[in-house]
Amino acid sequence: MKSRLFYKILISYVVIILFAVIIIGMMSARQIKDDLTEKTKTDLMAHVRIVGLLSKNNIEKQISSLADISHSRVTLIGADGSVLADSEREVAQMDNHLNRSEVQEARIKGQGEAIRYSHTLGIDMLYVAFTIRENADIGGYIRLARPLYDVKKSVDLLYAHIYENVLIVVISSLLVAFMFSRKIMVPIEKVEQFTQKVCRGELPGTLLVESNDEIGRLAKNINCMVEEHQEKIRSVYEEKGKLESAFASMTEGVLVLDSQDRIELINRGLKNILRDEYTSDVIGKTPLEAFRNLELEDAFNRFRKTRSPVFEEITFGEETPIILDVTISAIHGLPAGEEKTMMVFHDVTRLKRLEKMRGDFVANVTHEIKTPLTAIIGFIDTLQGGAINERETAKKFLQIISENARRLDRLVDDLITLSNIELGEMKLQIEGVAVTEIIGNALPVFEAKTAAKALTVATHIPDGLPLIHADRDKVVQIIVNILDNAVKFTPDGGKITVSAREDGKGSVIIEVSDTGMGIPKSEIPRLGERFYRADKTRARELGGTGLGLSIVKHLLKAHQGRMEIDSQIGRGTTVSLYFPISRVIST
Amino acid sequence: MAEKRHTSTHYDKELRDIREGLLYLGALVEKAIDQAVRSLVERDTELARKVICDDAIIDQRDVEIEEKCIRILALRQPTARDLRFITTAIKINGHLERIGDMAAKIAEKAIILNEEPPMKPYIDIPRMAEIARGMIKESLDALGNKDTDLAQKVRMDDEIIDNLNEQVFRELLTFMLEDTRKIHRSLIIMQVSKSLERISDHAVGIADMVVYMVTGKMVRHAPVCRIQE
Repeated sequence: MKSRLFYKILISYVVIILFAVIIIGMMSARQIKDDLTEKTKTDLMAHVRIVGLLSKNNIEKQISSLADISHSRVTLIGADGSVLADSEREVAQMDNHLNRSEVQEARIKGQGEAIRYSHTLGIDMLYVAFTIRENADIGGYIRLARPLYDVKKSVDLLYAHIYENVLIVVISSLLVAFMFSRKIMVPIEKVEQFTQKVCRGELPGTLLVESNDEIGRLAKNINCMVEEHQEKIRSVYEEKGKLESAFASMTEGVLVLDSQDRIELINRGLKNILRDEYTSDVIGKTPLEAFRNLELEDAFNRFRKTRSPVFEEITFGEETPIILDVTISAIHGLPAGEEKTMMVFHDVTRLKRLEKMRGDFVANVTHEIKTPLTAIIGFIDTLQGGAINERETAKKFLQIISENARRLDRLVDDLITLSNIELGEMKLQIEGVAVTEIIGNALPVFEAKTAAKALTVATHIPDGLPLIHADRDKVVQIIVNILDNAVKFTPDGGKITVSAREDGKGSVIIEVSDTGMGIPKSEIPRLGERFYRADKTRARELGGTGLGLSIVKHLLKAHQGRMEIDSQIGRGTTVSLYFPISRVIST
Repeated sequence: MAEKRHTSTHYDKELRDIREGLLYLGALVEKAIDQAVRSLVERDTELARKVICDDAIIDQRDVEIEEKCIRILALRQPTARDLRFITTAIKINGHLERIGDMAAKIAEKAIILNEEPPMKPYIDIPRMAEIARGMIKESLDALGNKDTDLAQKVRMDDEIIDNLNEQVFRELLTFMLEDTRKIHRSLIIMQVSKSLERISDHAVGIADMVVYMVTGKMVRHAPVCRIQE
């Protein structure tokens, strides 16, 4: 589609050319007309002077031949203006000619001229008058008139020529105009399309305009601008990408709030720390709307009052709480009127749990040591106070002191074992060990206890089970610990099953099931923590140190094995112990 | 109110304050319910006392929000959407305050029950509390997002709560028939269950007001007709 600019250029060309043709035509016509009129006038003037030499009578007589010779109408006018003779018309019908301008002029100057339109002939007539002198007086006037046929013909011819050629002129001028405007328009259109693409955000490459004029230079400048722009955009993107990747790969959670305290940005770190229910669709909401967390809101309110950094520990969720250290601070270096806030979240759940475990451990150790010590000191004091003299009582007291001392001893032994394993000072003597042999060694330890509680013990160990890759003594210790728990927590008349199988993934599983009281689901993950007891009151009554499972867990870890506990309250517990299979072939 | 701003940014801030205040109050009552039920399940009398004390904070917040609403009504003469929002806020505020009272009532019952030997582990009560809390959260989310679908969901959850309430009632009835010594405790637990059921009704009330605020239609009391059909 041709643009409006193209038509504007084209039309102005045509108008200018037409205007020029018309002006030139009119001027030449005028010039021709003037020239020819002048020529005719001179001619007639010469004739009239010659005729004027004749006497009035001669003129009157020979008027028609004079007319012939001079190719004009000849009129003889008396001094009073009356027409005396005319070569073409009856004298009687003609009025007084004294007032005719040419005659008036002749009367004053001796000769006169005028051009008047003749209604009878329908053409301009040139009149030339000359005074006929009779002595010193005016004897009359001789007037010659000639129609300006030639002039009219020449002018008409010129116009005819112009009319004939005007079409050619217009067409050729159109062609030229078209070519010129095209030559201007094509590069302009190119520039226009190019800039339009740039506006739409496309990257159109380079603009090619082959010309050295202003348009060419314009194109070059536009190219320069676009390139400069793209360079800037590229660097901005690069910068943004760097920031974004840093922002996204941070393990700390980051929230950016805008001036209206709405969430503007949330990084992946925070999405990883918090669960989806908190972090989906939070953009544009205030922290209160998004998280509904009172601790965070209180901290944020404190920050809003002073806009100085606030540090707070907050908790998300109830069942499995996530503990976060949050730092709320203002973002500096923003344009005036903008107040953005940044919240940085640090997940301290694990740290808090470890802190608690350590605190619990110290409290437990002191408690566990203090309890037997109190008994020992108390009974020794009683003995010293005189009870030593009562033989029977003293014996009973000594028995209690001995029991407590042993308990203390067991506790210290367990603690030493545990710390040895943890410090990695325990040497394992790894060899291929048969499961049957281990169970065979472990079970007799409990014969007396199982008999006392009337427990049934069943073993299911298939033949051809591969050897396990382990330290014989330590595995016995593990099994003894597990069996000890099973025996302790199974009520009288219950059943304990020891079975073993291969899991097909390179491990042998030894399972110890009981029909005991069971452990609540929520407690299972915490079993194996030192001094952790699911049932706090009963377990101590039954004489445990609270370190058994912890030792088992650590020993298994040293063997590259693991432990799984499955339990149903009131039904019983199954402990599965995973040991790696030895490469020594079972015999 | 995120999409359209008033010429007066101060007015905007006042409206936002009310909305934030409601969300904060909502979070407070959610916490109160959670702690009240926990004090019952874990037999933690100390926590129950704290819930009863904290109800004063909820009451104070309630008064604050109401005063703010009345101030806007008086000074700004809100129209159309803003008027609907303010009236909705006043009603939601009332619902939330009542929920806070219910939580305090549950805590009072917990103190009484903790004095007596436990009957059996609580299973349905914590579930009811969990659902009721979810309903409050969802109805307030619906307020924040102008989400009428979410508001409808709250209505559905109310039926679950009603069913659980009946289940608790039937279970306790068998306890009472079995053993006359359990009648007192059973009756108190029934009151707890009833309070939770009332809480869920309030949550539905909030959700209905949200629907009114967004669409201008009153949907309250609609399900009664549906049941009759």
